[in-house]
Amino acid sequence: MNSSKQQHRVLTLLYLAPTALILLVFIVIPIIYTLYLSFFDWNLIAPTKNFVGWRNYLTIFTDPVNQKVLLNTLGYIGLLLVLNFAIPYVISIIVQFFIHKMQGVYKIIFFIPSLFSLVVGAMVFAWIMNPVSGPIALLLRQIGFTLPNWTNSGGLAIVMLCLITNWKVFGYNFVLLLTGLGSIPQNLIDAAQVDHIPKWRLIWDVVLPLNKSMAFYVLILTIVQGLQYVFTPINVITQGGPYYGSSNVLYHTYLNAFVLYKTGNASALAILTFVIFLILLFLEIKFVEGRDADAPI
Amino acid sequence: MIEIDTNEIALELKDVVKTYHKVPVITQLNLQIKKGEFMVLLGPSGCGKSTTLRLIAGLEAPTAGEIRIAGTDRQSHAKASDDIAMVFQDYALYPNMTVYQNLDYALKVHKVPKAARQQRLTKILATLNLTAYQDRLPGQLSGGQKQRVALGRGLAKKSPIFLLDEPLSNIDVQLREKARDEIQDLHQANGQTIVYVTHDQLEAMALGDRIAIMNAGKIQMVDTPDNIYNHPANLFVAQFVGTPQINILAAQYQQGQLQFQGQTLPLTPGQAQALAGQGDQGLDLGIRPEHVLVHSQPAGQPAYPAQVTQIIDYGRYQQLTLAVNADTTLKAITTNNDVTKDTTVYLTFAPKHILLFDHKNQKNIEK
Amino acid sequence: MRPFKANGWHLLLLVICLALILPVLFMVANSFKTLQDSYHTMWQLIPLHPTLKNYQTLSRQVALLRLIWNTFFMATLVTLGKLSTGLLAAYAFQYFHFRGKRWVYFAFVATIFIPFTVTMIPNYLVIAKANLLNTALGVALPQLCDATGIMIFLKAMAKIPRSLIESAYLDQIPTHRLLMNIIIPILRPSIISIGAIFFINSWNEYVWPTLILKDKSSFTLPLALQNYISSEGGTNFPLAMALATIMIIVPLAIYMVFQRYILNSISNSGLK
Repeated sequence: MNSSKQQHRVLTLLYLAPTALILLVFIVIPIIYTLYLSFFDWNLIAPTKNFVGWRNYLTIFTDPVNQKVLLNTLGYIGLLLVLNFAIPYVISIIVQFFIHKMQGVYKIIFFIPSLFSLVVGAMVFAWIMNPVSGPIALLLRQIGFTLPNWTNSGGLAIVMLCLITNWKVFGYNFVLLLTGLGSIPQNLIDAAQVDHIPKWRLIWDVVLPLNKSMAFYVLILTIVQGLQYVFTPINVITQGGPYYGSSNVLYHTYLNAFVLYKTGNASALAILTFVIFLILLFLEIKFVEGRDADAPI
Repeated sequence: MIEIDTNEIALELKDVVKTYHKVPVITQLNLQIKKGEFMVLLGPSGCGKSTTLRLIAGLEAPTAGEIRIAGTDRQSHAKASDDIAMVFQDYALYPNMTVYQNLDYALKVHKVPKAARQQRLTKILATLNLTAYQDRLPGQLSGGQKQRVALGRGLAKKSPIFLLDEPLSNIDVQLREKARDEIQDLHQANGQTIVYVTHDQLEAMALGDRIAIMNAGKIQMVDTPDNIYNHPANLFVAQFVGTPQINILAAQYQQGQLQFQGQTLPLTPGQAQALAGQGDQGLDLGIRPEHVLVHSQPAGQPAYPAQVTQIIDYGRYQQLTLAVNADTTLKAITTNNDVTKDTTVYLTFAPKHILLFDHKNQKNIEK
Repeated sequence: MRPFKANGWHLLLLVICLALILPVLFMVANSFKTLQDSYHTMWQLIPLHPTLKNYQTLSRQVALLRLIWNTFFMATLVTLGKLSTGLLAAYAFQYFHFRGKRWVYFAFVATIFIPFTVTMIPNYLVIAKANLLNTALGVALPQLCDATGIMIFLKAMAKIPRSLIESAYLDQIPTHRLLMNIIIPILRPSIISIGAIFFINSWNEYVWPTLILKDKSSFTLPLALQNYISSEGGTNFPLAMALATIMIIVPLAIYMVFQRYILNSISNSGLK
């Protein structure tokens, strides 16, 4: 009896060990170490670290550059939610309920950009939207307008960078949302149609509530993944400029850590991001996983 | 219960209890199964028959009690055993392996020599008429063929005890009888001990040497099909077995006589003995529809006039619904097609087929 | 009235299709134009004077084969690593019973929500200390931290009838045989699609290579492409587009072959 139970335990450990080890070494210990570093002043190379207590955290909220970056991050989140969540949601509703053919074709085509690197996206959009010699600028010039030089304005740069991630993420989020809408039982829709309920009422009163958990999942994903995705075009095109105008918390963390060598400041920013994401995770569990009666385990 | 010689026992469940999250599924189950016996576990869904089978198989551990196989206790935990093979309701064939590979797989893993495997499997495939299909994948087989493959995989293990969990429930009705006969032939040829779970009473009657009828986690009765049908131990067994269902009518035992609807019915010697010395009481009178005799004229005593309220013609027989009065209706079966609706007929009960149940504990008074 | 309305919707959707696909088409077209042509015939989707000059220049300036091999090798390492660790862990969660299983699972899955910036500094230090800077293994290891594989495999395993596993258990099939001979063959479609997604993601990976790969000979395609983009303007776009075109061929080819699998898998990953 004991031997078989023992064997079972050993097997369990053996199967979980690879993943557990990787997560421990590359996620759990790093988080703890980053937390530790956030209380020190360090430059990533020097042999000594100076303990500074909460100073790095205070800096986040008092330093004007950090404040700007935090504000930018909120701007990014708002814009990403509109571009990568709201618009794909509206489009997926149109594809699911307002047209009757070609749904599969749209799905296949919309998904294509999500196969490509954001470096490619950044490069192509840098060309298309080039304020001097890009095709859009030329087109506007011909009809008497000028494309503003968006690299000189933090706000416009943020819009551009979000558009680039939108190009990549749109199809992915669209597929997820469409799946959610498609899993609503057809007989509910049919029943409403037999009762002559207008389509927009049906969508508002039946479809949206039933698709709540998928929608919330995509919403959280949009924030968590979007902020990380946008890192690539920032680094490729603007490097956070002009004067931190297009930087966000994640990029600023990277900049502090590996360009400015302000490891302590970077760690504090990282921990702040981590806490925000933890709150989002908690919401996700509460609203998406928690309501799941037949969870996988 | 008849005592069985311990050497003859293949499998024994002793005071077995199983609870899931504090909900009892099996309450105090005792069962002895003889070597080579075909034992059927029969009951409505949720009665605990499948759980019992899973306990025997070693897929679950009993919460309390003992499961003894060939005299040795399986101990309190779940464990697979060489002594037991099982056929699952959905057959559980490995979808990525051919018929032959399905039969061969466990033997190969356990390093049975190739020649021995081949010899064993060739014979099994031939017996089950599967030789022509041995290279097909399960997805390419009909329900009946899949079921035979599942049987074959169980047979390949050569274990003394064979468990079958509703093996025929996924087969088309037309083929079910044939598959049933095949299982019976296999049992006769191999002499394995079989424990067979079903909710189909016809299947149980046709196959079982003995049938254990279960309800609400308890065994209600274990006996031969004949005794189960003709001498049910309690009201549940009487009502569960037999279609159309047995008629259960309110009767009284008054001053040593059985009274029903104002007339006295005769008691069998057994019933008279069981009731001897008891005071007046209400009884549940059970009479199977085929034992309610229908006459167009009052014939013999006691006879009850009744209104024919419904006739269902099944071709082979007619099922009548008869109202003795506003509160008392019963079903009868006749083969002479001369009854018409809304006429009055006269009923008599064949005396030796009248069953009497204690109104309080619902037990057959003779048991 | 009705068909007109539907056509309106199709028009909108067509515009979206163009907005998503045209940039890629222009990119491919321009990669076959000279710098002058690309400026003067910007809107020409089919080059007037198609040329391979950009590709020739590219192959002179960078070790193309080396780049492709580096990217391929790293992506393969990541894909195989994630598939095997994910399968093993999912198996343990699905078929083994142990205390605190729910919590361990949640802890694993929660790692999906951890931003790379939190682990970036220590991971860089560890990789540097292990002498893995500028190596494929060094970029691959931090990328293995991804529980999506476990999640999707678990969902796929939950669909395998329990009786199949119980039957193997009664036949005393050891778990590693069960995994190799029965579960993996049954899960093949999931494994292919998740593998394809893993591979594409890693092929495109930018963050970890930026941190770990400093030596040009260890570069992957996204890093090489970044080198051709100048923030000050003055990017030689046709040249960059030639490199980008080379870069998108692999993901596109995988998508063309496994399109159905991949889309199904994405759908499943979100379905609760």
